[in-house]
Amino acid sequence: MDITIRVAGQAGQGVKTTGSLLEGALAEGGLHVFSTQSYMSRIRGGLNWFDIRAGEGELFSGKERAEVLVALTDSARDILAETLAGGGKVLFDGSGGDRVAGIERGLQAQCIGLGVPFTKTAKEVGGSPIMANTVAAGAVFALLGYDVEQLCRYLAEVFAEKGSELIDKNVRCARRGAELLGGLAGAVKAPKPGSAPPKVVTGTEAIALAAATAGVKFYTAYPMTPSTPVLHWLAEAAEKYGIVVEQAEDEIAAINMVCGATYAGVPAMAGTSGGGFALMVEGVSLAGMLELPVVVFVGMRPGPATGLPTRTAQQDLQFVLYAGHGEFPRAIYAPGTVEQCYELTRLALQTAHKYQTPTFILADQFLADAGKNIPPLDESPGPIDRHVVDASAGYQRYAVARGGVSPRAVPGGEALVVVDSDEHTPDGHLTEDLAARVAQQDKRMAKLDGLTAEALAPTLYGPKDAATLLVTWGSTYGPAREAVDIINAGKQSVAMLHFSQVWPIDTAAAKRAIGKRKRVVFVEGNQTGQFAATCRQVGVVGECELLSRYDGLPFTGVEIARRVVGKSKRGSR
Amino acid sequence: MNVPHVEKADTTPAWCPGCGNYPILSCLNAAIAQAGLDRRKVVLVSGIGQAAKLPHYVEDPTRDTSRLGTPAGGANVFNGLHGRALPAATGIKLANHKLEVIVTSGDGDMYGEGGNHLLHAIRRNISVKAFVHNNQVYGLTKGQASPTSEVGFTTPAQPHGVTAAPLNPLAIAIVESCSLVARSFSGDEEHLTAMMVEAIRHTGGFALLDILQPCVTFNRLNTFKWYKDRVRPVSGDHDPYDRTKALELALKWGDEIPIGVIFRCDRPTFESRQPALAERTLLEQFA
Repeated sequence: MDITIRVAGQAGQGVKTTGSLLEGALAEGGLHVFSTQSYMSRIRGGLNWFDIRAGEGELFSGKERAEVLVALTDSARDILAETLAGGGKVLFDGSGGDRVAGIERGLQAQCIGLGVPFTKTAKEVGGSPIMANTVAAGAVFALLGYDVEQLCRYLAEVFAEKGSELIDKNVRCARRGAELLGGLAGAVKAPKPGSAPPKVVTGTEAIALAAATAGVKFYTAYPMTPSTPVLHWLAEAAEKYGIVVEQAEDEIAAINMVCGATYAGVPAMAGTSGGGFALMVEGVSLAGMLELPVVVFVGMRPGPATGLPTRTAQQDLQFVLYAGHGEFPRAIYAPGTVEQCYELTRLALQTAHKYQTPTFILADQFLADAGKNIPPLDESPGPIDRHVVDASAGYQRYAVARGGVSPRAVPGGEALVVVDSDEHTPDGHLTEDLAARVAQQDKRMAKLDGLTAEALAPTLYGPKDAATLLVTWGSTYGPAREAVDIINAGKQSVAMLHFSQVWPIDTAAAKRAIGKRKRVVFVEGNQTGQFAATCRQVGVVGECELLSRYDGLPFTGVEIARRVVGKSKRGSR
Repeated sequence: MNVPHVEKADTTPAWCPGCGNYPILSCLNAAIAQAGLDRRKVVLVSGIGQAAKLPHYVEDPTRDTSRLGTPAGGANVFNGLHGRALPAATGIKLANHKLEVIVTSGDGDMYGEGGNHLLHAIRRNISVKAFVHNNQVYGLTKGQASPTSEVGFTTPAQPHGVTAAPLNPLAIAIVESCSLVARSFSGDEEHLTAMMVEAIRHTGGFALLDILQPCVTFNRLNTFKWYKDRVRPVSGDHDPYDRTKALELALKWGDEIPIGVIFRCDRPTFESRQPALAERTLLEQFA
């Protein structure tokens, strides 16, 4: 049993504040929550919404239809009323128990909208229209039949640092919001609170926390959606963890600063999205040539060019896989869950240092902004092994070594550390000696063997012998997992294979897991099946289907299930 | 693999006889010695171009440096991408601010491809010392205009002459409140060494040292003699803290070109404003 609450309004109106408030309070009350954000590229106006799905069991995806719509504007109400589930209710900022305009046009005849004077009440009770968010949250709690005091306790925690006066005002607003609901209280059947973890974490928060605890000492970025929350989080936590965070003049500067910092011996990271990553590409190649443990977080959004700046996509896999002129090894991790955002950021840093080559954390707006209550993440510092050695005079940074990994010293010690973007001799000095070039190129590429041997095997969800296999990577894990559950509750048998590392690929494990299936369906947030192409390239699959989405919104479990079943009914190849 | 031994023709250094880079190299060696730097704590950072190869030639006693006429001493080297020496140097300095980070690269690298980074390195006031070999022409790519080439200067890429106005790096640095702005000439080694020492000893943040330098192969206009006849050390009574006077000097070009410390400005360094660097370097956090 789960429901979706959709909080909608204009940018700058407090959509996110209201959503976060509800999400946090529901999670603390013991419900499992999963939130997604959908917003437009602007500071004011437009139509943004924040979905909170709350349930009795763990959740992995959003849903298209909402049981509750909290509309902070008339247009949010009129446009989104049609996304209501049967029996859903609309609470809008206004007065009277009017039927919603959109409903009167016959969209959802059974839906009832109730005007609750969020803003007016906030001014009267709290003395500020800002607290309209709290009034709305109180009304939602009542609508779902939950005790508003639970929300009040949460407000007291959230505003603890701001003083008792503000807490009192907010508590009064929440209670008044609940009272205003009158006879509609408990009108929407809601899940029963259990003992879900209390703390909600987003994908970007998990990435930033993992970076800080793993010992990243320098983080730089040029602000770009959806990667920016990592920059903000680390800037806020910089003093606590001893990090320098710098907003670069451009992404070219960012990646080259990271190259400099890693050369000098500290773990460092940059974050960006496709367009910014395009500017970083030469620097990525530099990291490959200088054999630097550079890590870049790439949060994908729809392109080409500026595309849909605030939406989601999985379009840049092939781009990140081939970014950088010349040939050099790399590893690309694609977290599927908030927990994996944490684990794989740490692993990306470890791998980069072990193999002295760039690695990537490839996520997207959906997962970057997705919130979920999960068991507590380790917040204590636990620096990764930097694989740094002490060296003496005569040290050669690029000594030809087994497996391609040369002992890595950093400047400031006894040894001089010489690195060059030109082809170089083992001592790091530039050379045009063609034999030396071949030796160094072979040395660099030899690292691919070790990287491949350590590649994460894909994980299977669902029955091992299912006739249909959904192949996913990165953020589609959650929606596809829910689709598997939905489909298997019916007559068909389906499983999901998820890759949280998309390069290099553990081909043996992948082949074993795919085996012989009636249908192999790649579920990807792009139009061309980029991961399917990579899998075919390494010989993991042959003929397969593609279930793609590229309108800028994330997949949902219901959608994938509908499309997978629908297609098989129509009889596909 | 059977490859031709082209390395046998790989001369060190890869500079033309008479190149202004030779005196710059020997002055840098002298300045490092005069400033009393421990070469193990020095990182020379460069981009791409003939000037950017300099860090390779200061270092290895086992290499044939006899043609340089200077004692080889060595230093750490980060020879990165074209135009990107400053961001790399910034990253190095932040990771370990006890290192002396010196950028030594050309006018194409620092004023052209990497122009944006220069603006922002000055704004940050990161303690990096930038030595720009400014010969007003592109050498390694064979003679095209540089951002400082004069209007009318003809090249294979600008056969009818350069039309864009030359960039004035000193004036830009002054209006941006660069903490130290100086100019020297590769033909006056004593002066150049003194300016380098001045920049190295400067503890107030970013230093820009623009070094006028002839290109014997591609710049037949701004020759050794052309510079020699024009450079004039700034007078002893020039107050480098006077921005207006400094700007006047920076705008002088033609019959007289001032060399020396042009401008100074006291600002907190970038590192001094980082709480994470208050007690130790970022690198020392791993000790």
